[in-house]
Amino acid sequence: MSSYPKPLPEVTPLTKPFWEASKRGELLLQRCKNCSTYIWYPRHICINCGSRELEWVKASGKGKVYSYTIVRQVIGNSPEFSKEIPFVVAEIELDEGARICSNIVGVKPEDVSIGMPVEVFFEECTPEISLPKFKPAR
Amino acid sequence: MSGFRGIAAISGYAETPFSRARVDKGEPRLTAEEYYAWALELLLKQTGLEKKDLTGQGVGIIGSEWPHSEIWSAEAIQNLGLEPKLLVRADHGGANAAALLVQGVLAIQAGYVEHFLMLGADTPLSITGPASRTWRYDENYLKPFGTMGPNSLIAMAMRRYMNDYGAKPEHFGTVSVVQRKHATLNPNAYLKTPLTMEDYLNSRLISDPLRLLDICIWVNGGFAILLSSASAAKRITDKPVSILGFGEWHNPNAGQPMHDITTTGVKIAAEQAYKMSGITPRDVSLFQPYDDYTVAVLMQIEDAGFCKKGEAGRFLEENDISYQGQLPVNTGGGQLSAGQAGMAGGFLHFVEAARQLRGEAGQRQVKDARIGLVTSLGCVGFEGHFINNYAVVLGGEV
Ligand SMILES: [Zn+2]
Repeated sequence: MSSYPKPLPEVTPLTKPFWEASKRGELLLQRCKNCSTYIWYPRHICINCGSRELEWVKASGKGKVYSYTIVRQVIGNSPEFSKEIPFVVAEIELDEGARICSNIVGVKPEDVSIGMPVEVFFEECTPEISLPKFKPAR
Repeated sequence: MSGFRGIAAISGYAETPFSRARVDKGEPRLTAEEYYAWALELLLKQTGLEKKDLTGQGVGIIGSEWPHSEIWSAEAIQNLGLEPKLLVRADHGGANAAALLVQGVLAIQAGYVEHFLMLGADTPLSITGPASRTWRYDENYLKPFGTMGPNSLIAMAMRRYMNDYGAKPEHFGTVSVVQRKHATLNPNAYLKTPLTMEDYLNSRLISDPLRLLDICIWVNGGFAILLSSASAAKRITDKPVSILGFGEWHNPNAGQPMHDITTTGVKIAAEQAYKMSGITPRDVSLFQPYDDYTVAVLMQIEDAGFCKKGEAGRFLEENDISYQGQLPVNTGGGQLSAGQAGMAGGFLHFVEAARQLRGEAGQRQVKDARIGLVTSLGCVGFEGHFINNYAVVLGGEV
């Protein structure tokens, strides 16, 4: 068992390629071979056209903040997060056209804004899981 | 489908007292089973029906946080001694009551049953076993980043809403303050201390821009609502509340990877409900929108057609939403002040609408209450948009 104290995603046959790539520092997205729709979070079928022909493709890792919140109180998640408060949870609109939820770090919470360009980096939590996080784009 | 009048009505309603299980304050700490039993007994008393009158009729029950048995509807009717012909269970979270209501009136319209008993109780403050596991998308793609359930998702919807439409904290505060005023006139509301705008603005930030007073308060409690065919309802009460129309819509824009999280599916549901009932927003004498958060109320004021998209803030500046105003909103205090009984929270809006339309709302009675609109939301989706959306038009004597 890992000693990482906060919740981690489960790795399933569906999501294994994503988490393997995360370890290498690459952000993958599912793309539909039939209609080219990009999808996040991972699915078993294209939410647009219904094709099961989905492939993992490397994403640019760049996007913009669609919205964000500054978490100031832990409710219904690991008490471990209280050490990090205040921190930013954001929805990031990736350049490919899908939205991912993550943290914005490397900037004061009050300096985050909607529309801010951000880019991905990976935080190694355990040997299996590196979480994609975002920081202001250079 | 249009012209749903004369088919089905609410013929009875019951709401137990609410509690936060503060035994130190003399509040009861009851189980969900006890609240179901209590609500059913209250309903039988109000309607004058005996339990055997419900044999061979319809029963709908919600999922509760605890117990969360795989065969819960069966367990519940066994506990309560009910023997229905039709038995359904809802799992639409905040929209549970609306979900049962639609299923019930469709069964009545089809002539399959004459009565449909809606039951909802929950005890989020005294869960006696493991709480239900939450959603997979929450576990895998939200919680690892420190999201705090719906609070974080709705805070982001609120931020985006403020950004796109220029809404100010005072607009959300108006909802909080006016609903509290209603709660002070509701003997069954949990929070009855009057609030000022200053109190709202000084309440602590839980997840910017979401403040404590933007969030509903959990209570333990139970509800029962009886739906009956129009003719059966008249035998039970001289004040049936007719179901004039309804609409629902789930997972709007399902095929898009990115959603506008400032608009709810109530827009589609309300259009259906207005068309079916033949009324317009101008005809509505009271509005009971789902209020897990203040921003949801602003969005539903827009999506139900009381003003244009993005203009709810201005609407709140120009209109009084108190029970004496142009558009009375959540006249019993809503979930923000009366309390959210967990997965049964959405019953509150139907009970309050029925109470108002029967002229039984006491000090907070809306004058000439004729048409009520209830809108319900359930399940905050991955991006912070609501998956389940309902609108129901109710009428007194038409
Ligand atoms: Zn496709």
